[in-house]
Amino acid sequence: MSFWFWHGIQKGVYTTRYPKAIESAPGVSPGRPVATVFPSPMEASLAVANCPVDAIKAQGNSARVDLRRCIHCQRCRFGGSHLLEWRADFEWTAVPAEVEKYEVLPHAYDHSLHIMVVDAGDCGACLHEVKQLNNPFYNMHRLGMFFTATPRAADVLLVVGPVSENMRVPLLKTYEAMPDPKRVVAVGVCAITGGVFGRTFMSAGGAASVVPVNLEIPGDPPPPLAILHGLLVVTGRKAPVQSESLLERSA
Amino acid sequence: MTTIPRPASPSKRIELNSVVATIQDRFQGSVSLSKADAGVALSVTVSEVDSLPRLSKLLFWDLGCSFGGLVVEEIQGNWRLSYLFLAPESGWIEVILQASSSTASVPSISSEVHAADWHEREAEDLFGLRFEGHPRLGDFILHDQVWPEGAAPHRKLHRKSMDVHQAHFRHRPNPDWRPLLVVQDPGSFAMPVGPVYEGGLGQSVHFLLETVGEDVVRAVPRLFYNFRAVEKIAEGGRVSDVLLLAERFAATSSFAHSLAFCHTIERMSGVEVPARARHLRLLLAELERLRHHAGAIAGICESTALAVAASQAAIIEERLLRASSQLTGHRYLFGLNEPGGLRRDFANEDFGDLLTSVDRALGDLQVLEKRLYFTSSFLDRLEDVGIVDPDKARDLNFEGPVGRASGRCNDLRRECPYGAYGQYKFEVPREFEGDGYARLRVLFQEAYQSGGLIHQAAERLQPGPVAARCEPPPSGVALGWSEAPIGAALHWVRLDGSGLVERYRVMTPSFNNWLGFRVAVEDFAFQDFPIILATFGLSATECDR
Amino acid sequence: MDMWIGDALVLFFVLCAIGLVLSAVTRGRYPLRVLVGCSAACSILMMAAAAIALVSGHSFEATLWHLDGLGTLTMRLDMLSAIFLFTAGLVYLPASLFVRNLAEARRERRHSIHGYGVLHFALMASVVLILTANDAPLFLISWECMSILCYFLMNYEHEKETDARAGYIMLAMSEAGFLAVVLAFSIAGREASDWSFPALQIAGTQLSGGAVWSVFLLGFLGFGVKAGLVPVNFWLPRCYTAAPPTFIPVLAGITLNLGFYGILRLDADLVSPHGFGTGLFALVTGSVTALVGILYATTDNDLKTMLAHSSIENAGIIVAGIGASLVFRASGHGIAAAIALTAALYHMVNHSVYKTLLFQGAGDIEAATGTREMDRLGGLAHFLPALSVVFLVGCLSISAVPPFNGFVSEWLTLQALLRSAVLLSPAVKILFALCGATLALTAALAVTCFVKVYAMSFLGIRRGEWDLRGRKKETRPRFALTYLAIACLLLGILPTYVIPALNRAVEPLVGASATASLVPSFFTATPENQQLPPAFLQDFHNLGAQTGRNVLPGRGMVVLARGSEQNPVIFAMSPFYGFLALAVFLLVTWIFVTRATGKRRLVRNELWAGGIPRLLPEMTYTATGFSNPVRVVFQAIFRPNIAEDTRETVAVHFRTAILRRREETHLVDRLFFHPVGDAISWCARLLAGMHHGRLNAYIAYTIAFLMIILLLFRLS
Repeated sequence: MSFWFWHGIQKGVYTTRYPKAIESAPGVSPGRPVATVFPSPMEASLAVANCPVDAIKAQGNSARVDLRRCIHCQRCRFGGSHLLEWRADFEWTAVPAEVEKYEVLPHAYDHSLHIMVVDAGDCGACLHEVKQLNNPFYNMHRLGMFFTATPRAADVLLVVGPVSENMRVPLLKTYEAMPDPKRVVAVGVCAITGGVFGRTFMSAGGAASVVPVNLEIPGDPPPPLAILHGLLVVTGRKAPVQSESLLERSA
Repeated sequence: MTTIPRPASPSKRIELNSVVATIQDRFQGSVSLSKADAGVALSVTVSEVDSLPRLSKLLFWDLGCSFGGLVVEEIQGNWRLSYLFLAPESGWIEVILQASSSTASVPSISSEVHAADWHEREAEDLFGLRFEGHPRLGDFILHDQVWPEGAAPHRKLHRKSMDVHQAHFRHRPNPDWRPLLVVQDPGSFAMPVGPVYEGGLGQSVHFLLETVGEDVVRAVPRLFYNFRAVEKIAEGGRVSDVLLLAERFAATSSFAHSLAFCHTIERMSGVEVPARARHLRLLLAELERLRHHAGAIAGICESTALAVAASQAAIIEERLLRASSQLTGHRYLFGLNEPGGLRRDFANEDFGDLLTSVDRALGDLQVLEKRLYFTSSFLDRLEDVGIVDPDKARDLNFEGPVGRASGRCNDLRRECPYGAYGQYKFEVPREFEGDGYARLRVLFQEAYQSGGLIHQAAERLQPGPVAARCEPPPSGVALGWSEAPIGAALHWVRLDGSGLVERYRVMTPSFNNWLGFRVAVEDFAFQDFPIILATFGLSATECDR
Repeated sequence: MDMWIGDALVLFFVLCAIGLVLSAVTRGRYPLRVLVGCSAACSILMMAAAAIALVSGHSFEATLWHLDGLGTLTMRLDMLSAIFLFTAGLVYLPASLFVRNLAEARRERRHSIHGYGVLHFALMASVVLILTANDAPLFLISWECMSILCYFLMNYEHEKETDARAGYIMLAMSEAGFLAVVLAFSIAGREASDWSFPALQIAGTQLSGGAVWSVFLLGFLGFGVKAGLVPVNFWLPRCYTAAPPTFIPVLAGITLNLGFYGILRLDADLVSPHGFGTGLFALVTGSVTALVGILYATTDNDLKTMLAHSSIENAGIIVAGIGASLVFRASGHGIAAAIALTAALYHMVNHSVYKTLLFQGAGDIEAATGTREMDRLGGLAHFLPALSVVFLVGCLSISAVPPFNGFVSEWLTLQALLRSAVLLSPAVKILFALCGATLALTAALAVTCFVKVYAMSFLGIRRGEWDLRGRKKETRPRFALTYLAIACLLLGILPTYVIPALNRAVEPLVGASATASLVPSFFTATPENQQLPPAFLQDFHNLGAQTGRNVLPGRGMVVLARGSEQNPVIFAMSPFYGFLALAVFLLVTWIFVTRATGKRRLVRNELWAGGIPRLLPEMTYTATGFSNPVRVVFQAIFRPNIAEDTRETVAVHFRTAILRRREETHLVDRLFFHPVGDAISWCARLLAGMHHGRLNAYIAYTIAFLMIILLLFRLS
């Protein structure tokens, strides 16, 4: 058994230095489409047609992206015409449109945050990315964040999935079982707007229909670093992005 | 450790002609046969409804076919049921049963073919079609505590975009609902696990482990907490939109599912996918399999609390995710497949990085495997635990690595080759003990085979087009399949007359494996339950759709 | 002093008689009040008489009447009797108060209180006569009366079929035991001048080895019937379960002790052993009894049956202590013998107190919910908060958790067994070690058992269909139960006062003083502490163990145990200081917690169960599940027959019901009762061959028998 100890030591340290330094290793994030300026408004409106979920809106010469609807299908990135620019970043956490301002958790939680996750109809990708937070590359324990097994000890609830009807009651019970102060983060575009599943008889179209959501992390799925950024925003160690600079809200 | 004797030879290839002859011999007059296309090799139309169970028994048990799934369609008010059987190395056999709209029930084949149990329950819940002789209908997909009986939401008369609080589906939680408990011992109890368990890091499944203390006497999982009615959402959609659904209902096998979906459309339109696209698809599918298996191995190590090994396996998986993202732009390979080929091409230099990553992953896996086999405390938790013996594996139609660890030959890449698999050399590993250790060994061996296939594919790449123009016809029906990391995935698409999807049916490997999961858990101790769950590596969301 | 004891006893008998007559004669509500009042007064008198005797050290003697052929019947209250009398009084007091439960039966006019009253007082009188008898005829007559009265009280609710059968078994076993005891006394007194105990004692010193063994075995097994020893205790679980709730405390707290009294009187006092064979026999039997008792207690789910098996376990511990003391005495180690016997007597007192408490608590639970099955209870702490507190005290006591009384007696027993290092024979030492290990195992299993009992009955959520029919929440505990709980606590934290009292009985029997070695006087003059090293005394003084030296009476609050001369280590324990420390600690914690969290809001929410809509009772742990590991580990002893019956429809794949039936035969039944019964039946069948009805053959039998008798007369 001592083999495992030496094996682990030998392999060295892989952990990213984020949030002290921006991580730029290849493949950590799929990136996201950003507003692109086209030569003419007509071309901008052609760019809109690329998107199957109406996440691109044309405004004059520029095509702007509502990241809350973008499902990362990359049809505006290659394989077509009038493609948008993509930026390789991952700090996407934003405050929902209905909420004025995000109320930060008290300082005691800065370096001691306990996280509860609920899989409410998720496809598996968002949940998998959340699980990656525990692997040596991201190692959220060094930031004082832990997964708990029970909502009684949890401070923040991560909801993944569009909230299928059968998971509505369990999600509600989990939320109610958490003591104050608590925050809810909708992880992934399905939890924000329902993604490709939308709002049907079997899917609530996002966590906001069931529990009050404090923060949103767009992406399909958001990479682990985006989720890590979101958790840092929950504790107030990082600020949520402002909508006017990076994201667009649909009417 | 008891040794299971190896069968004398692997599954024999079954000639379709002999199948035709046997069926005609025994079912004269009640069936009619025809050679078909669009994925199905043989169509058997049953005219006498009561001969259906006997025919299923003949196909499954006597002729050795495996059961693929049941497709229920409502075509202009009438029912069309397709039972899909796979004759090994010969192709798919479709048993068609047509019934008029006034038919209330159809004979059930579950007493003969146990693997059809859940398919029939799903059809009853979603379509309201009763299966005569099935003892346990109801409370399957539409949980009784939430949904009233008889909702049948997949009927054509219900629209998918209906709001949750609409009148047709007004439902309230049933406060008196009690689960059906089977163990009648006065001291027995049912330990509830889930749907939110493991801190939520496990996918939402609910178990009631009935026990009298130490051993689990009965464990039947209650699934469909993640049911999003993908098949219903697809109705009336464009092919390109349904492709998105196919990709995204189960993300860890997304490439394989989107591949199966594209196969249906390509078959329908009769398009030949260019060679470069075929090899690239193979490369990407094997990359997904390699990554999935690394994740499954990490899951097994984590369930036994071997922390360093779990971290090392997680490192391998994360590197493969990053390599996937570096090559294709998405960590889970979304957005690559389209009917006719791939949406984008790759430069040959990109493959250099990918192959380096793959080689590094394979080397790390080999080191990990060797050391795991020397860690006796780890093996103690896996050996002789969660045993699925070959008879049960056959009876309940286990798919994928789980079935192969119990001696089944069920790899669609071999049984029913698609894409470029016919031209490649690779092994399909099989074990016979059926315990957790056998499943772990199969995962490792498959990972190595995938690595080898990736290398072969990279060598065979020739310059050329990466997609053929594929316009889906206005109408058509086809079956598409692929071997997903968890097992055999079947997609069935029927287009209505205007190029939109009329019926989209997905038969996933997790659905089949969850049905049989209970035989591995029963009669083992509680403490073994999470480990058996991890060795199966099942995805609840893939089963639920 | 003698006069007061005599007066108390006379008053006792007079009150008994009055009570008996009054409860037979009066009507209306009076019989119950008479019963309770007189009975309580009688028990206080019993305690008073015994207390005076113990405190003053005087025995009391009186001559009763003279019977031709049997000799003079005399009474003597010596120290040993005083201890048992005190315990009997201690238990009779709450037992009298419990009799109020009879009021329900009276209202329904099913059973007669008059009959119960008569039997109750008669039993009380016979118990006192047994304990104070100074000659064999009085002892035996009162013993037989006690057995028969117990049978009548057992069958008080005689409509129930199971009760009747259980009572019959008890009667049969009591009679068999009585016969054995009569034989024992006959053998012991063959050479004696008359049948009084002093004469038997003198004769006992001259008995040959074989006679001593036969007296010992007959007496041990004969009294063992009442004491509940393997292999003659198979009536005990059945009867304790079937006994009416008003009679159970008497059965478990008083008649059980009579068995020990008989063993001590006959085998330690009258016919003292020469070698240590008999002591070893008692030790081994006690250990085996303890283990078997606790195993069946842990795996049983019926409250009363489980408590009955637990009584068997405690009886085993007591008898093991007695056996150890006999061995030590025979080897000449008086001090070790004294410690062992003190431990046994202490355990007897403790057991009477907490077992009464537990049985009455079980009776209350049954009265409130209508069921005794632990699998169907649960959540009672919410409805019966007062009962849950006192029941918890009982469970802690029986699990030997400090600062309650069970801890002291178990500690002393194990310390006594550890003393086997002074013995010379290695075989005996090994046997002692094995028995010590067995007793330690039983202590651990006892904890498991009572954790299960308390948790499954009072904690968790309700598992059964019963409801409490609008009963108000009981906030005030009942006096009797509180009294017993306080007794448990006091016996636990004041061992230094109990041990000298017990020593009065121990010293005459073993010839050495336990007090000197166990409770050296830290408080009184230092010259007596010369046996202890000065460094030890200094440490003790620094620890504050001599606080209160001039204020508190007695010898100090610390109990010691010293190793042998080769290994002079000192083990010290003080439940009193431990209790103080615990109380202070809890108080400080409570203050700290309330101050630290005072500003926080407490919100009560639903139980978290993984997101399911409702946590159903079927989903919580049952008593069977909790004790299943014990069942599995000790499967070789239980040897159950498990039949699994699966019902399915349509195909094997669809199971609708799985029923696992588990049939077990008790170990003692399997190894002893059934073989003996089968042997007797076989003999009977053989003899039945003679009953063929032919007159000629019967005449031939008679003539043959006559001839044999004439021949025997001729020859002798």
